[in-house]
Amino acid sequence: MTEPITWTCTGCALLCEDIQVYIKDNRVEKVEHACLKGKARVYGCKHTAMSTVDQGEVDVNNAISQAAKILEKAKNPLLYGWSNSTSEAQVAGIELAQTLGACIDSTSSFCQGITINEIINGNVPSCTLEDVREKADVVVYWGADPMSSHPRHLSRYSYFPRGELRQRGYEEDRTAICIDVTQSRTAKISKGMFFSILPGGDAEFMRALMDGLAGRVPKLSYDFDVKRILELAAVLKKAEFGVIFAGLGLVYSIKEEFDLISEFMNTLNRFSNFFLIPMAGHFNMRGFNHNLHEETGYIHRVGFTKNGPVSSVEYSVVEQLKHGADAVMVVGSDPLASLPLSISRRLKDIPLILVDPCSNLTTRVADVTIPCGVSGIEVGGTAIRLDGKKMDISPLMQVDGLSDEMIVRRIMEEVS
Amino acid sequence: MALDVSKFIKAPEYDIKIITRRDVFQASACEEDRFSDECMELSALIVLDAAEMKRMGIQEGINVRLTSKWGSVVVRARVSPREEQKGLGFMINGLWVNALVPDETPDGIPAFKDIKAKITISKDKITGIQELLLL
Repeated sequence: MTEPITWTCTGCALLCEDIQVYIKDNRVEKVEHACLKGKARVYGCKHTAMSTVDQGEVDVNNAISQAAKILEKAKNPLLYGWSNSTSEAQVAGIELAQTLGACIDSTSSFCQGITINEIINGNVPSCTLEDVREKADVVVYWGADPMSSHPRHLSRYSYFPRGELRQRGYEEDRTAICIDVTQSRTAKISKGMFFSILPGGDAEFMRALMDGLAGRVPKLSYDFDVKRILELAAVLKKAEFGVIFAGLGLVYSIKEEFDLISEFMNTLNRFSNFFLIPMAGHFNMRGFNHNLHEETGYIHRVGFTKNGPVSSVEYSVVEQLKHGADAVMVVGSDPLASLPLSISRRLKDIPLILVDPCSNLTTRVADVTIPCGVSGIEVGGTAIRLDGKKMDISPLMQVDGLSDEMIVRRIMEEVS
Repeated sequence: MALDVSKFIKAPEYDIKIITRRDVFQASACEEDRFSDECMELSALIVLDAAEMKRMGIQEGINVRLTSKWGSVVVRARVSPREEQKGLGFMINGLWVNALVPDETPDGIPAFKDIKAKITISKDKITGIQELLLL
């Protein structure tokens, strides 16, 4: 058998850099250390995308020209997706949006963008996954189920490993706490520290916990043993290095009063030493937020107007699909699979360009499809891990096709 | 010949709140092929509390129709391996649950974890991709 290549996995935003891949004749022969999601990413999709215009196969150059014509003609184009692209492709996409005076948004718009915004702007303290592995003694999975979303999270960083200050690992040195509406797979490890809350009840539970931390009697509007909240508060107070892993269960529940997160972290840090890490899903979702922030000061939902870049809910992908965009270019995403159908069905009524390695649901309604190499497999670059650490992504194999960055830059040349 | 009256009797409907979540098996199956039977089988299902299923007369593995203001789908009912809160159902993120998600997004974030729907036993087949996309 050939020598393995050490590879950084782009199956999720954990970006595990210890994957061993055996390649023979430019094909993946065997994969070691990867989880099920990582393996699926390495072996790739069964149906690759074709270069098409109006659902008919064309030369890729024709497809790129047609895409440029659609975007040039549009008065209010939307460039959307980007979370499965390298940072280099994202930067090219931001440049294209500036050139077109377009709106640009990513999947973070309805995912962890709101949390990442708080961290980038310094309102919530965060740390690296290496800090978690070496130092964390209390880990809280709040509305998060990494065993189902980021399968190697617990084994590589947050619970099972020995760390510099946690030589006895999960058996003695780490306490796992799970706060959720259901006893998830992750909650099974929390040994009596699972807290079942009502759907949408995260803010109320957080306030009760803050009461507990401050020595007041916690109050809840439903029947809950307040002694358990006081016990939880005591555990959090004693933590030497604590981490909250914020999942979408928490984010969606408190999105309307998100300042509560920083208030909670401030309260917690009056007594102990806590950090928060967002459970971003796609491998470079956070990269898009950092790259756009660097260029515009905003992390997502940006419109490049005559007066400069502006960010508001009006420029979010869902609002643009409902009332704004008159042409859409999707890069590395499948909005028909991931957005409410009541919103995404509008993609059938407006000119739609899809840049993606795979045939997906959105391919079925795209006016132009341009196949690109798979980021992290056939295309290299950089990405930002869910904790904000920049990572190099090396391609596993060489292919003749175009990367998404090259496609975006070719379109830019044609519209400039 | 005796008349089968059961087909004229409407199955009872129950209110349910649907919460989406992730699943590694579904994610990897759909990464490989979004049009595969495996992706559909792992996406087109709702997980319910055992006692709730009994109350609603829903057996493990039968088809149920979920209807919200925004759409209607037929999926398979599965019993949760643990006790769940009353009135909740869990679906994996994907096309089927997205047919039910409200289009109201005042803050730009759809209510993926707060979907109010009706559930009823159905004799229909699991809703297909073509039907959902209205192609």
